[in-house]
This record gives sequence, structure tokens and C-alpha cells, in this order.
Amino acid sequence: MLTVTDVVKTFKTGDQTIKPVNGVSFTVEQGTFAAILGKSGSGKSTLLSLLGALDKATSGDVIVDGVNISKLPDGKLTAYRRDDIGFVFQAYNLIPNLSAQENVMLPMEFAGLSHAKRSERAAELLNQVGLTEEMHQRKANRLSGGMQQRVAIARALANNPKLILADEPTGNLDDETGELIIELLRHLAHEKKTTILVVTHDQALASQTDRKFRLARGKITEDTPKVPA
Amino acid sequence: MGVVSRSVGNAFRNKVRSGAVVVILAVAIGLALAMLVANQAVGSKVDSLKASVGNNLTVNPAGSRGGLGGGNPLTTADLTKAAAVQNVTSATGTLSVRLSNSAATTTSGTTPDSGRGEPGGRFGASGTTSLESAVAPGTLGQRNNSNGGSSSSGSTGGSTTTPTFSIPIQATGVSTSTTATGTAINLTSGTALTDFADTSTQALVGSTLATKNNLKVGSTFTVQDRTMTVTGIFDAGDAFDNNGIYLPLAATQTLTNQAGQLSSLTVVVNSIDNVASTQTALTSALGASNVDVTAGSANLQSAISSLGSVQSISLIAFIASLVTAGLIVLLIMIMVVRERRREIGVLKAIGASNRTIGVQFVLEAMVLVVLGTVVGAVVAAFSSNPIVSALVAGNTSSGNSASSRAGGGGFGAGGGAGGGGGGFTRTRGALSGANQLIGTISTSVGWQTLVLGIVGILLIAAIGALIPALLTAKVRPIEVLRGE
Repeated sequence: MLTVTDVVKTFKTGDQTIKPVNGVSFTVEQGTFAAILGKSGSGKSTLLSLLGALDKATSGDVIVDGVNISKLPDGKLTAYRRDDIGFVFQAYNLIPNLSAQENVMLPMEFAGLSHAKRSERAAELLNQVGLTEEMHQRKANRLSGGMQQRVAIARALANNPKLILADEPTGNLDDETGELIIELLRHLAHEKKTTILVVTHDQALASQTDRKFRLARGKITEDTPKVPA
Repeated sequence: MGVVSRSVGNAFRNKVRSGAVVVILAVAIGLALAMLVANQAVGSKVDSLKASVGNNLTVNPAGSRGGLGGGNPLTTADLTKAAAVQNVTSATGTLSVRLSNSAATTTSGTTPDSGRGEPGGRFGASGTTSLESAVAPGTLGQRNNSNGGSSSSGSTGGSTTTPTFSIPIQATGVSTSTTATGTAINLTSGTALTDFADTSTQALVGSTLATKNNLKVGSTFTVQDRTMTVTGIFDAGDAFDNNGIYLPLAATQTLTNQAGQLSSLTVVVNSIDNVASTQTALTSALGASNVDVTAGSANLQSAISSLGSVQSISLIAFIASLVTAGLIVLLIMIMVVRERRREIGVLKAIGASNRTIGVQFVLEAMVLVVLGTVVGAVVAAFSSNPIVSALVAGNTSSGNSASSRAGGGGFGAGGGAGGGGGGFTRTRGALSGANQLIGTISTSVGWQTLVLGIVGILLIAAIGALIPALLTAKVRPIEVLRGE
């Protein structure tokens, strides 16, 4: 379960203080597939970085399975990011000189898995996201945007995280592959009880999620599920 | 794909830059290794020079040298005083006397004592012997046997009548079975002196003298009225020394009526660094008016000190080159870390610890350093010899000028007052010039030198890489979102 309580993040630029996240509170159950919608600059990425322990909130608590990550020391945060979180970045952020498979193996290396197990699981994950075998050994900077997106998703899944945070996971994919990814994420949420939070503009994706939040000027609101007529 | 292979791969992500860095590192490391080689080569040369010089000082009676000059002989009391001077390890005294051929002396009808200082003198001989000199008098002998300085004047006899005579034999009284300068006597047959009592009849005979007089080990000859037995035959390597004999010191003193007298002292100093100060101390202890103290190694010392400066220059250059190599690594790694901030953020965001990332960057730096070292070692192999010879040639020219004057002391002086002109002084072949002494400094590298150099380089490189690696710890994972 993910509980966010009154989280505030402030930045200082010159003599101005801006609050991209200003008192956000929500709770999602384990295994929920949720979407956060919002305009550019509404604070979506900042919220995601707070949930993924990339940054620390100025105030408020982020509680993942009973552990308050805003109070964890840096060493524990590294372990939290490694074991409990899977990140899919908007800009993919693959290591350009490593192959697709090596990129997926990285988080498992940090978790201490043997080379053989890492290699096997990475190939399996890449197949799951629809990347054919001949692409596995290709360098990340030689892959198309859509392929890099899929490698990034495979990498996020590597350590079987409890929470996957994805920034526009289908933004660069054609409809067919987008469908495949959405189906994969839904499957993970419902079958493996992985909480999935996606930031998206994609209505096709948003319409398939269990819950939808809207972020505007640092405040979050939830769309009330349409009551079937 | 482990951290090692990732580091190796990262080192070559930018091939042009990595190549340039390796070349620059190779120059710095090559220079460092060449300097280390120079340092070690010069160091071992200094050691061998010091060993060959020995730490000897020679004490002669003031105003007397090699059978010439005047003054009063040294005594055993002087020997005791010299041995008590600070830094003196040992002091040995020798008595050199000249023995004229007894047959020739008899025919001329003069006694040994009254013969001194006579016109047409007899080289200041202190006694007689049955031995006949192996060296013919020749022009120099005629000149030395005459009373005047010039052989052409002919006014005092010697050169006009050219009487037949035999030049005297030099006998050196020693208290141990070594030469006057303390080095071992090179025996070709027989044994060394063992009986040093004043009644001893042992003697060592030079090889040419033994041949001339048909002497073998066990043969006998006379000195004054004592019959001496040949215990050994030596080869000193030159005609002058091979025409001499060694006798026990006490016996020499007794036979020539010079009890308690010494013609020179050889003093061994505990360290070559103390030779100069001990020279001063000895002079003041024995009295400047009584003794002349000479260090036979003056030019060697100047050679050693000039080599010493080369050694320190090369050490400084070694350290400076190492620091340069370290700085190159430091700067390039700082650049690499800045360039890859975002990638470091990614690694942290997906769970890499600071340690893992730090190790990766240190290893990456090490790949560059190892490559630089390999290329640098090749550079050093080709450049160290020219560098060493350039350094040595540039620093020993000052040593040359001092060398020609430095010959002199270090051998026995005649027992009585000298009779004639110059001639018996000799210079040591070893003192002919600093460059010859230094010889060719071999720069064959020992494995210790290489290991020392490589350990030094890796240490500096590790320090150079560690700072950037620590900088990676400061990169926050949020960097991954920068620019999004």
C-alpha cells in the first residue's frame, strides 16, 4: 500500500519560492493500476521523484508498505530504489554504450544476482515487452525510441518491484505496442499485485487504469469513477 | 557485464579523448620511470664509487712525501693519538725504508749511516740488503742518484763518471699483511706474513725482484745482518711495486734503528661523509706543524657529490612527473564525472550504491593509467639511457678540473732524509679523472625499480581517481530528471 500524506516540495529560485507539489495526499492499495494526469509543469514529475525516493519532500510523509521513506537514511533509500521501485523515465535514460540486455541486467547486478540469472531474466523480460532476440545485444543508442522505451520498461521490472513509477510509458510507442505495454502493466498490477502509477496524456492508457488522479498547480484531485449507468 | 568490464568499456567510450589522455599520461609516466631509473643507476654508481674509494686518510710527516722533503718521522705515539680521533675506525702505521745493495755499498766503502746526504747520495738508504734491484738505474736513476737537480750540469760527479750502482730496494714495514694503504697484497705464491715480532725473519718479495734474485718461497736473503726467509711472492701490478719487499713493521724498525718511528699512517674513517671533518680533526690532534693529512679521494668526493646532485634532481623529477600524472588523471576524471552526471543519476535511481559507482570510476581511471604505464614504460626504455648520460655529463665537468691535482699521498715515504730530486712520486691510476671513474652508468632496470615505479604510479593514479569517485557520491539521483 502506498500512502502519501500532505507532501510539500518547495524550490528556491532567486528570491522566489515555488511549490510544484503543495500538500498532496492520497492512498492507493497494493496492486492498483493508477494514472496521474496533468498539464506540463503541473508538478507530475516532481511528485514521481518524491514517490521514487529520487528526492526528499520538504514536508509530509510517503509511506510504502508501512515504511516512511521520507525519513530513511541515504543508504536505505538506495536499497529501497533498488528493491522496491521500478522507474520508467520519459527520456528512457538507458546507458548508451551498453546493450539492451546489459541495461536490463544492471539493477539485478546491484541486487547481487549471479551473471547467469541476470542474463536469463533480462532476456525473458525483453521478450515480454516484445523486443525480439536479435535486438537484445544491440547497443542502447542504436535502438529506436520505441525500442528504448520497451527496454526501459523491462529494466523497471527487473527486480520485481512493489511499485512501478512510469512517466509517459506509451508516449513513443505505436498503438499496437502501446496496447501490449498497457496489457503488461495491467497484468502486473492484477496478477502480481504490483502497484503501478503512470503519468500520461494517453487517453487510451488512462481509460484502462483503476484510478485516475489529476494534478494542477501542486494540488491533486481524483476523478470519481464514472458510475455505470 | 560486471563492474570491471563496464569500466573498461567506459574508458573507451570516447576513443579520441582516451587516446590523447593515454599519450599524455605515457609521457608523464615515461619521464617518471626514466627518472627513477636514473636515480637508481646513479645511486648504485655512487655506492660503488664510495666502496672503491674507501674512507682512507693518509698521514705523512709534515713536509715529507714519498721519500722527499724533510721533517721528523711519525711515531707510534702519533698512531695512538690518531686512533683516538672521533669517527676513526682504525689506524695503521707503516715504515718505508730503502735498502741499498750490500755488495755495492761495500765496494764504495761507506757505511749506511754516513752515506746519507753525501754528494752523489744513495737515495737516503737506511740499510743494506743482499737483494739486487730488478730495475736498471737508467737516466732517472742516474739523475736521482746525483746530488743536483739537473743531469746535464754534471758538476758533482754522477753523470760524468757514471759509476755502476744498483738502485735501492723499497722495503715497507707493515703491522698486518696488507699494503701501506690497507688493501690486500696480491700473493702469487706462498703465504702472507704471520710473525710480526721484531725478531721475525718473514718477508714478502715482489715478483720481478724475486725473478732477478732467483728467489722462491723458502729462499733466503739478508737485510742488514739478518737472514730473512721468503714466505710469499706478490704481484702488485706495476714495475715499481714489484721491485719492493714487505717486512714485519717491528723487525723493520729494529733492523734500521728506527724504533718507534713510522713513515706514514693510514686512517680508516667510519663514513665517507666524515672524511673531510676527520681530516681536520686529525691535523689538529697531531699538530699541523708535525703532519700532513691527505685524503686521496678528493676528486672522487667531488664526483660523488656531483652524482649526488644528479640523484636528487632525478628524484625530484620522478616525484614531479608522478604528481603530473596524478593531476592528469584527476582532471580528466573530474571532466568525465561532470559529463556523466546524468548517467550517474540513472545508476543511483535504479539502485546503485555510491561505492559501486565509485569503484567503477576508479577502475575506469586505472584502465587509462595502466595503458599509459605500458606505453610510458616503452618511452622510458628508449629515453632513460640518453637522459642518464645527459644528466651525468652535465654535472661532472666540475669534477674533472679537481682531479688532476688530487694525486699524491697514500704511500710510504722514505725513512731518512731524502737525497735527490723528484722521481719516486707516483699518482694513482684510479685518480685520473672523474669521468673515467663514473664510467658508463648502466641503466639496466632491476625488477625492484620497475615495481617501485609502478606502485608509485598506481598510488598517485588511485589518489587522482579517488577524488572524482568521491564526487560521484555527491551526484543526487534526481539528476536523472534534469532536462526532462
